Amino acid sequence: MYFSDIGIISLILALGFAVFTIVVATLGATRALPQLVASAKRSVLTVAFFLILASVALIVSFLTHDFGLSYVAQHSNLAMPWYYSASAFYGGQEGSLLYWALMSSIFSAIFVFTAKRAPTVLVPYVLATLMGIETFLLIVLTTVSNPFVRLPVPLANGVGLNPLLMDPGMLIHPPMLLMGYMSFSLPFAFAVAAMITGKLDSEWLRSIRRWMLAAWSIQTLGLVLGAWWAYHVLGWGGYWGWDPVENAALLPWLTATAFLHSTMVQERRGMLKVWNLSLVFASFALSIFGTFEVRSGIINSVHSFAYSTIGSYFLAFLGIVIVFSIGLFIFRLPKLQPEQEFDSVISREGSFLLNNLLLVGAMFATLWGTLFPLISNAVQHQTLTVGPPFYNQVDGPIFIVLILAMGIGPLLAWRRTSTRALRRNLGIPALVAAICAAVLPLLGIRDIWANIAFAVCSFTAGAILYELWRGVRVRHRHGEPYLFALYMLFERYRQRYGGYLVHLGLVMLAIGIIGSHFFQVQQEAVLKPGQQMTIANYKLVYLGNIDRTYPDVEVVTAQLQVWHDGQLQQYIYPGSQLYASFANQPTSLISISTYGLTDLYVFLANWNGLSDATIRVFVNPLVPLVWLGGIVMLLGGIICWWPQRRKRLVSVIVPHTEKEPASQRVGALAPPSVESIVGHSDSSKAEVAPGGEGTLASPPVGVFSGTSENDEEASI
Amino acid sequence: MKKRHSLLIFLAVAAIISSIWFYTFLISPPKQTLDQRVHAVASQLKCLVCQGESVADSPATLSQQMRVVIRQQLQSGKSEQEVIQYFVSRYGDRILLSPPWQGLTLLAWLVPIALMLGGTLLLFYVLKNWQSQADRSPLDVERTESIDIDEHEIAYYQKQVEQELAAEDSVFSRLGSEVD
Repeated sequence: MYFSDIGIISLILALGFAVFTIVVATLGATRALPQLVASAKRSVLTVAFFLILASVALIVSFLTHDFGLSYVAQHSNLAMPWYYSASAFYGGQEGSLLYWALMSSIFSAIFVFTAKRAPTVLVPYVLATLMGIETFLLIVLTTVSNPFVRLPVPLANGVGLNPLLMDPGMLIHPPMLLMGYMSFSLPFAFAVAAMITGKLDSEWLRSIRRWMLAAWSIQTLGLVLGAWWAYHVLGWGGYWGWDPVENAALLPWLTATAFLHSTMVQERRGMLKVWNLSLVFASFALSIFGTFEVRSGIINSVHSFAYSTIGSYFLAFLGIVIVFSIGLFIFRLPKLQPEQEFDSVISREGSFLLNNLLLVGAMFATLWGTLFPLISNAVQHQTLTVGPPFYNQVDGPIFIVLILAMGIGPLLAWRRTSTRALRRNLGIPALVAAICAAVLPLLGIRDIWANIAFAVCSFTAGAILYELWRGVRVRHRHGEPYLFALYMLFERYRQRYGGYLVHLGLVMLAIGIIGSHFFQVQQEAVLKPGQQMTIANYKLVYLGNIDRTYPDVEVVTAQLQVWHDGQLQQYIYPGSQLYASFANQPTSLISISTYGLTDLYVFLANWNGLSDATIRVFVNPLVPLVWLGGIVMLLGGIICWWPQRRKRLVSVIVPHTEKEPASQRVGALAPPSVESIVGHSDSSKAEVAPGGEGTLASPPVGVFSGTSENDEEASI
Repeated sequence: MKKRHSLLIFLAVAAIISSIWFYTFLISPPKQTLDQRVHAVASQLKCLVCQGESVADSPATLSQQMRVVIRQQLQSGKSEQEVIQYFVSRYGDRILLSPPWQGLTLLAWLVPIALMLGGTLLLFYVLKNWQSQADRSPLDVERTESIDIDEHEIAYYQKQVEQELAAEDSVFSRLGSEVD
């Protein structure tokens, strides 16, 4: 009896309970038997328990170096530190599938614990869908991709982990990204449940939005971590290579972002139901596609260490998901009629539609570029590459327009915006952009595309910061100190200001990308001790190589001095390490030193003995902003997602129900800005439900600008 | 009067920017250094011995040699396009990092562009359609009135709501000096 036997037994039991849940939940829903639903909930928790047990069994096998287990023998060895051994758990195909199943079951369990917040009729169908996905994973895990297969004769030592994976990034990036992929299954389950029951009301929308926001935040973190890892490990001076696998991770993120925006239209106006549901289905289908792509190896990628034969299972699953989704649409389409009508192109609804067009367009372009080599190969038997120049030219302009829309959109009112309000709101940001466009060429930025991109970014950043400032100013006028006013804005209108923070983070990220794309400088030189190379205003003096040999790894580092502005800044040690078990696969140790907002990225490309080195240096301006922007985006996502405290109802609320948005009633009588005031008072009511503020995330634009004007008059 | 004022400012700003741009981008267009030109060509070519890297980024020996060749050819007076063509004639289309604008591979470029254009047209069509539906609805008269409502009325509603809010939550209450 080995620990791995506990693992396989747990997997089989989990599979049994998952199937049981599907049957019981469906019966409980169709026959209206609450006992059966309660039983299904407990059964989901049991599945989670058994998957945790299976995962513990695998981790224990790794930590005890049980090389009788094929998976452990292939992905670890005695020399690996314990944390890499433990993380080898998801380092290979079988283990990463088990990790996926584990996360899926844990999220399902979290859903069970929070199920009383979700609409009751939906719960059994959500459970059944989640366990349907789980069943698929468990079938694959127990048959073709079993991590608990034992070798006939145990090995004395394992093969070890791919050296590229022996990096601190391994401890966080893959688990985040896999969790991100998996977390799209919850919105999917909600969508399926809503389609079956026909319950697509605001309560449902709130639940699904919250889960989607969680999935989006996790995926954002996964993407940024992936970029960071690539930057620190791969040694080509960049962080995003439009590799097919990177694209696959970006695709569901794009549709999820589109969904988070377009549901606001549904919340406020009851429109776009079919569209929103398709975005949920697309996000899930794309995350399955991503997994399929990584696993099948049909497209060449730097991630090819995950290559395997189970791709066809994922392709079949993808087919089932798509057919099932389309079937549900056909079945439910007559019920999905819009509740309200559209007023004006220049309104926030209009800008959300533009946002969706751009995001979905970027998604299609990226998907098309990713798949095109396959098409070309099938039609012409010609291998070709669709690489970064393609995506930069196709996706680049789309993202720039998107950032511009991001600046204008939030300033527009629902329904329609008067030109006067528009001019008042956009005047200052436009001025900032104009100054930026005029000053940058004088500062030596001679590239017209970079200039346009920077001007757009400054416009949007200006619009967001101006909007924040106006909010703070109004609250300050009402007697709050500035910092407290800022805090209260985020506290009270979490979705709105969390959203601004996400936008601000994205602008920072975009500035970082633009900076490093247009202004990266690189140089390569073969140096002897004492020789130096100069790049931008950095001077590197080469001193020699250091060679250290450990039992399992040989590390060569070059020693260099960094001089900047005539001063010695520091010593750096770019190097390369060679693991004994992967002799043909050296991994680089890149030296990245940050001066202000510029990265000095030094890579040891080649060496000869102890006194000769080929050094590649990149000067990457603004790259730190990419990471900073990622953190700000994540923070914004968390603020949006964080549950509101339950509060007492405020009696000022104009009597109306959630189902009848304020706009329908008030809008006919009062101007948009008044409507938004009502929306404000409403927000305290919406706080009863988690994440409810978004339902009424009405623009305080009108309020703030109006109030401030009044205040100005009063003070005069 | 005020409107004309802002228009003048707008025109002045636009004139300043366009003159600066005109000067920097047309009168003295940026001159690329040889390094930049080499990088521009190399980043269009695929490193054939590595996985998904361009000749510009790759540390492989073959790429280093190719960068030397690019530099020599540019120095001898060839244009960027001619250098790329030279490599295509030797290695075929597979050396290109982005599909060429010809034959079947033209589709790679045209489909996304067509989709974006189609999407934009569809969006406009949908918006127009919705708007005309909204225009036909009987509520329309009240709606057009609503956007022309004057600022005094907004201020009135605002004050009312603020007072009611202040009664419930001190955060919304104004300081005594501010009450108008």
